[in-house]
Amino acid sequence: MYSAPDSYPIDLPTFRSRIDLPYTLTPGRAAGTFLAEVKNQRIIGSRFASGRVVAPAQDFSSIDGEESESFVEAPQTGVLTAFTRVDGQVIGFVRLDGCDNEFPHRILASLEDLSIGQRVKAEWEEGVEQSVLAIKGFAPAADLPVGTVKPLATTEEPLGVIPYEMKLDFEHAYGPYYGRMFDEIRENGRIMGVRQPGLDTALLPPREIDDITHARTGTWKTCADTGTIRACSIINMEVYGVTRKVPYVYAEIVLDGASTKMIHVIEIDSLEEAKATIKPGTRVRAVWSKGERQGRVSDIERFEVIDT
Amino acid sequence: MALSKVGVVATAQTELRPAWSNAQHIDLISSVVASVFKGTGLTIDDVDFIIDSGSDVLDGRSISNCGFLGALGAHHKEEARVEEDGLWGALYGVNKIRSGASSIGLIVAYSKPSESAVDLYWNSQVEPFYQRPVGFGQRAANGIQAQRYLAAAGVSDKDLAELVARRWAAAAANGGVAIDEVPDPEAVLASGEGAAPLTKLMLARPVDGAVAVLIAREDIARRVSRNPAFITGMGTAMDTHSFAERDASRLTAAEKAAAMAYRNAGWASVDADIAEISASSIIGELMAIEALGLAGQGEGLAAAQSGKTAINRSGGALPADPIMATGLVRLVEASRQLSQPELYGGGAPRRAIVHGAGGVGMQNNCVFTLEV
Amino acid sequence: MGRHVGIVGVGQTNHSRRRTDVSQAGLVREAVNRALADAKLSMDDIDTVVVATGPVLFAAVNQPEKWVVDAIGAQGKSVVRLTSGGGAGFAGALAGYYQVAGGFSERTLVVAYDKLSEGQLQYSISTLYDPFWGREFAVGIMGFSAAYWRARMEALGHTEEAAAMVAAKNRNNAIDNPYAHQKKPVTVEDVLNSKPLCWPIKLLDVPPISDGAAAIVLASEKVAHHSTGRPAWIQGIAYCCEADNAAERSLMLSEPLALASRQVYRAAGITNPRRQFDVVEVQEPYSCFELNYYESLGLCPPGQAADLVASGATQRDGDIPVNPSGGCMGANPIGAVGVIRLIEAATQVMGRNETHQIKDAKLALVQSGGGWANLRGCAVLSA
Repeated sequence: MYSAPDSYPIDLPTFRSRIDLPYTLTPGRAAGTFLAEVKNQRIIGSRFASGRVVAPAQDFSSIDGEESESFVEAPQTGVLTAFTRVDGQVIGFVRLDGCDNEFPHRILASLEDLSIGQRVKAEWEEGVEQSVLAIKGFAPAADLPVGTVKPLATTEEPLGVIPYEMKLDFEHAYGPYYGRMFDEIRENGRIMGVRQPGLDTALLPPREIDDITHARTGTWKTCADTGTIRACSIINMEVYGVTRKVPYVYAEIVLDGASTKMIHVIEIDSLEEAKATIKPGTRVRAVWSKGERQGRVSDIERFEVIDT
Repeated sequence: MALSKVGVVATAQTELRPAWSNAQHIDLISSVVASVFKGTGLTIDDVDFIIDSGSDVLDGRSISNCGFLGALGAHHKEEARVEEDGLWGALYGVNKIRSGASSIGLIVAYSKPSESAVDLYWNSQVEPFYQRPVGFGQRAANGIQAQRYLAAAGVSDKDLAELVARRWAAAAANGGVAIDEVPDPEAVLASGEGAAPLTKLMLARPVDGAVAVLIAREDIARRVSRNPAFITGMGTAMDTHSFAERDASRLTAAEKAAAMAYRNAGWASVDADIAEISASSIIGELMAIEALGLAGQGEGLAAAQSGKTAINRSGGALPADPIMATGLVRLVEASRQLSQPELYGGGAPRRAIVHGAGGVGMQNNCVFTLEV
Repeated sequence: MGRHVGIVGVGQTNHSRRRTDVSQAGLVREAVNRALADAKLSMDDIDTVVVATGPVLFAAVNQPEKWVVDAIGAQGKSVVRLTSGGGAGFAGALAGYYQVAGGFSERTLVVAYDKLSEGQLQYSISTLYDPFWGREFAVGIMGFSAAYWRARMEALGHTEEAAAMVAAKNRNNAIDNPYAHQKKPVTVEDVLNSKPLCWPIKLLDVPPISDGAAAIVLASEKVAHHSTGRPAWIQGIAYCCEADNAAERSLMLSEPLALASRQVYRAAGITNPRRQFDVVEVQEPYSCFELNYYESLGLCPPGQAADLVASGATQRDGDIPVNPSGGCMGANPIGAVGVIRLIEAATQVMGRNETHQIKDAKLALVQSGGGWANLRGCAVLSA
């Protein structure tokens, strides 16, 4: 950074943000069949026209994209071909007897007791269905005979969807500009931006470099907590993740003293009434939340129309 | 009509730090975009297009380029987001200039891995039905890759630790990486298990940072820069997603990428003065050295220790892996070593190899040849 | 421009609300199979592959090109992914174009897809917003799109009717599109009476949620003839942007689109777009956007988009048909849409459009874009 050198490490709070999304993923025919059959404690593989057999089942060959021809039942025994340990969990590759590929999975043994070429067998987790984790993992099984791949007459219907969740947590650094802006909001209940290069109006949110000209921004400026609506719409539908009661107004507001927008909401009684009374040009004022401010945009609970 | 030749005019990079705790993404990005022009006589107005590399998952924001356009200097310009390492962004930019459509481009790459759980970033790349639930991800891939390589090559833990320590020392000396204490080989071995048999310090360390590279058509590059490095060859190849199906002893995708680049550069043999190579672990680096043709199979260590080619004088990716930007940082380092040899003890180096990688177990690979 | 690049093969899936028979990888494979067959090529003939999708959070696989590479048999090839919100497909095509034009490739396959049924569309789009500043108020892109549309109407004194005409036109056009899945006939009244979701955007102003993939093969002049005697040549293509939070950001015109079109028209020799283009395909995330595009692309003077649509000129039998394919209203697998619009326009000038061939179409205009409505591009195709 070309601004002031920092000589000491700076210990600042971070802004916590979570993205938590539910999914219904479609596995496709091969994986869908494999996942449907785990409740029967069967391991389903695929056979290709070239003669190659893989487990778990694949629609398309990992080597060259060849389409698979038929399903097979793979034996539950095989050979350990590689392994490692990450955060205490041993993960390895198992080449099931009769198969030409390796199956990545958990290995149920201590790392120190394992060797390449060792025979292993699948162990099942009771009560787990629709997941590759219905297999708890593969455990050493020295004396078990070599199994064979069997053709399959029928298989369960492939699962069309499986539930999945993606939860990502972030700790975002505030940086010097958001850091000051939110500190001022929390401590002094005032909203500050930085002046546009060469102008008196403020950019909100503030930053070192102006987005349009890529020039250094100017000095700090306090904006009022009143402003003008530049654009608005009326939200009238329920959306996953949003708890606010509909209908309400979604508004882009230019605070007095600023030149760029801040996004917020306005509570309304009826959609029809809001269409007539809340529009671009309408004057609004911030309604601050009750209780202690946190240093977040939600310290402003909402905006309300200023009656003239 | 002949295709234009493209040169590296200028570069800028923030310090690469374990955590830029007092800066946001836009602060790092706008910093390098502003810095890259200094001394060139050019400004953002001279730039025809911006190619940026970043990851929504690392940034915590969908279409993250969209919120960073101002900082990127992209307002009212052509912009493209390559969601892969910045070296691929440079590849795109070079093609744009060679096509004749543009004459000056800005390539930017950045990330702040400190802001999230990096393991989740890697694991989310793995297909979700078979591999992801069992926990197969980048670290497991690195561990298994190491187990396989070490079984075939006669390389000891001590050898690996010494090379890792050497890379960290080089990074500390280079000045571009924040390092509190340079680990010695004992510290590398004692750093705890990363992915058996690799210790934590044998894996690439994610860092925050941003980097910008200004590229231009030959006539402009020569006008602006004293001794610009020209991009004479480019190649890229992606291996199969299934790590288990890849060649256990070779990075075949890196070999293919290198062959493509060398062929385009007209290199009859691999004869480079400098190489800047990306990797996700010390074993990955050795395998990449071999894949690039700098050593025979299993002989990467000798080349790394004392080969004809100066490898990773910057320290490479192990001490500093700004995910999504690492390959572009390698381009910056290599071009600087070629253009300003006086900074590295003198000499007259002519040719450099640059390597970038992406994906679990280095699935995707990109190779550039640079020449002065 | 030096090397000429043409579209020599196209393929798209039959888009649907939900495909439970194929994974994302399988969906991509279908489109790729169709495009390669159309181009009379195999994957061996392809030099490089570009994959494009909407944001990763749509479908829970990060950098999905690394997964789908296996399904399409592109292991060992050059593969890279571009993304740009709704404009992802177009951005992928643009990157592919430059691979060929820049001499890196002779034949590039561009495949774009989204499997929107798998995720929570609005919530994942809402993560486009700055987490510090506004994300808690986000309603996908619908919230701000509706707000900008309303601001336009206020400034111009227009009503919701013009956008309703667009919605009705496109929905009815989609009925003949064999690849579309939303095929219910609709009147302007139906649209105006449909439930407000983010007023003024109403239910029938909004395209469906879709699973779909689309692919094109781009080839250099040297090898194009192996695939077709009549490629759709790309005469110009550009993609520009604007910072999302500017003091002067125009809510009336899309400046990035206007800039892109200026560049593209210059390259393609377009001096009078309204007169010269035979057909136009645009990506309308909501019906109101198509009005903005008419003006930003110079098809009518500023402020007169409502008049243009009311005149019937952009209907199939008008003098400047826009979205004869039905646009997004028939199918909207967001990340694929840019490529779908290119396919529809390419097949028009190649004389083999499957929805509704515009007679003697020679010159086509394509628009696509995404993000905060701030990433926008266009292309000119001719045969």
